[in-house]
Amino acid sequence: MTDDSSAARAQRTAFTAGFARFDAVYGGIEAAFNLIAATAIFLMMMLMVAEVVAHKLLRTSIYGFFDVVELGMAVFAFLGAAYCQRLGGHIRMDLLVTKLQGRAKFVVEAVAVLVALIVVALLIKATWEHAMRAYFGNDTTSDAELQTWPSKILAPIGLGMLWLRLLLQFIGFIRLAADPDAVPIGVPRPVEIQEDAVD
Amino acid sequence: MTPLTVGIIGFAAMIALVVLGVRVAFAAAAVGVAGLVYMRGWSAGVGISGLIPHAESTHYTLSVLPMFILIGYLAFHAGITRGLFDAARKIFSRVPGGLAVATVFAAAGFAAVSGASTATAAVFARIAIPEMLRSGYDKRLASAVVAAGGTLAALIPPSALMVIYAIIVEASVGRLLIAGFIPGIISALMYAAAVIIRVKINPALAPPIGERYSLREKLSSVQGFWPIMFVVAIVLGGIYLGWMTPTESGAVAAAVVFLMAIARRQMSRRDFFNALMETGKLTAMIFTVIFCLLIFVRFLGYAGLPAAFAEWIVGLPVPRLVVLLLILSIYLVLGMFMDAIGMLILTLPVVFPAIIALGYDPIWFGIIIVKLCEVCLLTPPVGLNCYVVNGVRPDIPLDQIFRGVWPFVLADMAVIALFIAIPDIVTVLPDAMLGK
Repeated sequence: MTDDSSAARAQRTAFTAGFARFDAVYGGIEAAFNLIAATAIFLMMMLMVAEVVAHKLLRTSIYGFFDVVELGMAVFAFLGAAYCQRLGGHIRMDLLVTKLQGRAKFVVEAVAVLVALIVVALLIKATWEHAMRAYFGNDTTSDAELQTWPSKILAPIGLGMLWLRLLLQFIGFIRLAADPDAVPIGVPRPVEIQEDAVD
Repeated sequence: MTPLTVGIIGFAAMIALVVLGVRVAFAAAAVGVAGLVYMRGWSAGVGISGLIPHAESTHYTLSVLPMFILIGYLAFHAGITRGLFDAARKIFSRVPGGLAVATVFAAAGFAAVSGASTATAAVFARIAIPEMLRSGYDKRLASAVVAAGGTLAALIPPSALMVIYAIIVEASVGRLLIAGFIPGIISALMYAAAVIIRVKINPALAPPIGERYSLREKLSSVQGFWPIMFVVAIVLGGIYLGWMTPTESGAVAAAVVFLMAIARRQMSRRDFFNALMETGKLTAMIFTVIFCLLIFVRFLGYAGLPAAFAEWIVGLPVPRLVVLLLILSIYLVLGMFMDAIGMLILTLPVVFPAIIALGYDPIWFGIIIVKLCEVCLLTPPVGLNCYVVNGVRPDIPLDQIFRGVWPFVLADMAVIALFIAIPDIVTVLPDAMLGK
C-alpha cells in the first residue's frame, strides 16, 4: 500500500484487536451451546435408561417418550454445529488446500467458506419458514401432542450461529489473503490430531 | 436440459466443490439446494430444503449415534484399556510377535466399546507401542499394528460408521451391527496371522519377551476382559432379544461405562467435561453432514440419477462380479484421498441402488464397504490412523508407519475376498438372530 501512514496502521491494529476479541468471546458462546447439546445427549441417555427400566420392569412406558426424544434430538443436531466449525471439525478433503502456499491457499479457503456462507444463509431462511409454519399452524406431535415449533426453531438458531462463525472465518481468510504473514485469527488451526480425549 | 443431465452436472459440481476444499456437508447442501431450485422453482426448492434438516435429523433411528459416540469417549476413562492389554499380553506371551498379537486382540476388545477407529488407535499408541519398543520390537511393526488394530472399531459394534451407512441406505441398524461381529473377529484373526507370519519370516522384528505365565495367571488375567464382555452383552444381547432398540441398548451401555468410570475413580471432572464436549462436537458434525446429504439425495432423486445409473450398471454386458470389483476398486482409490464418512456420503446415494439392482444384499454390502473404509484409514497419503499414531508418537516417522501397514492392508484384502466368495459369513449371524 502506498498510503501506509501510521493512522492506517493504527486503524488496522485496532481492527485486529477488535476482531480477535470478538472471535474469542463468540468462541465462548459457541462452546456454551455445544455444552447444551452435549448435556442433552447425556440427559437423553438417562431418559432412555429410565424408559428401559419402566418398560421392562414396571411394564409401563414414559408418557410421550418417543415424541420427547425426537423433538429433543434437534438440540444436539443443530446447536453444536458452530463450535464444530470453529475447530475445523466438519469433514472435508484438504488435499488441494494443504498443497497450496501463502496467498493462493487463503484465497481458496475464503472461496470455500463463501460457498458455505451462501448455502447456510439459504438454509436459515428455509428452516426459519418451516418453523414459522409450525408455530402459526399450531403443529403438534401425533402422540403426546407436543408443540413442534420450539424444536424446529433450533434449526435456524444453530445454523445462524454457524453462519456467524463462517463469516468470521471468511473475514479471517480474506485478512490472511491480504497479508499472508499476519497472525491467523478466527480461522481453524491446521488439522490437529485429536489427543485430548485419550486415556 | 433433461433432469438426468442436471443430475450429472450436479454430481460433478459436488465433487468439484469437495476437491476445492468446501466441507463435504456444505458442498452437498449447496448443490442440493441449487439443483432443487433449478428443477422445482425457487419457492418449492427452498421449501423442500427447509423441511429436510429438522425432519431428517429428528428420526428416532439417528438417536443411536450420540449414544455410541458417548460410549467411546467415556470408555477412555473407564480403565478398560490397560486391563485388556495386560490380559492379552499374558495370553499371547508365547506366540511369535506376542505383544503385537496382544495389541490386535486388545484393540478388538476395545472396539467393542468404541465406535471410532482413530480414537482406538490413539489409545493403543500410548499403551502398546512403548511396551513393544521396550521389548525390542521393530518400530514399523509396532506402529503399524496399532494403526491397523484401531480400524477394527469400525467393524465391531458399536460402530458409528455402520449406523451412518444404515441411515444413508435405509437399512436396519440392528441387523447391520450384529452382522459386523463375525467379520470383526475374522479381521482380528487375520491381523494376528499377518503379525505371526511376518515374525516367523523375520524373527528380528519381534524378539520373544521371555516372560512366562502359568495357566492360572493367564486365566485370572482374563478378568481384564469382563467389562468389555458386559458391554457387548448389553449392546448385542439387547438388540438380539428384542428387549431394546439399538438406541436404548446404546444408552444402557453408555450408562454402564459411565458408572464404571465413576467407580474406578479415574475420570476427573475435567475428563468428563472434555468427553461431553467431544461427543457434542462429533455428533454435530455427523448430523450436519447427514441432513445436508439428504438435501443432495432429494435432488438426485428428482433428477433420476441413481435409478439411471443402476439401470446402466445392470445393462452392462459383464458378470456382476466384475462390476462389483470395479466399484470396490473405485472405493479403494477414493479412500486414499478421502475420509471414510465423506466417501460414504459422496458415493452411496448413486452406488447403492446399483448394487441392489445387481442383486447384492444391502447388509452384506455395508460390511464390505465398512471394511474398505478401514483399508482407507491405513493407505497413504491420507491414512488417518497412521497420522494418529504418528501424532501420538512423533518419533516414528509417518513413512515408516505407512511402510509397516502393507501386510495389514493385504490381510484386509484377503478378508474382503473371503466375504465376496462366501457372503454367508456376513449374513449368517443377523439371519440366525433376527430371521431372514
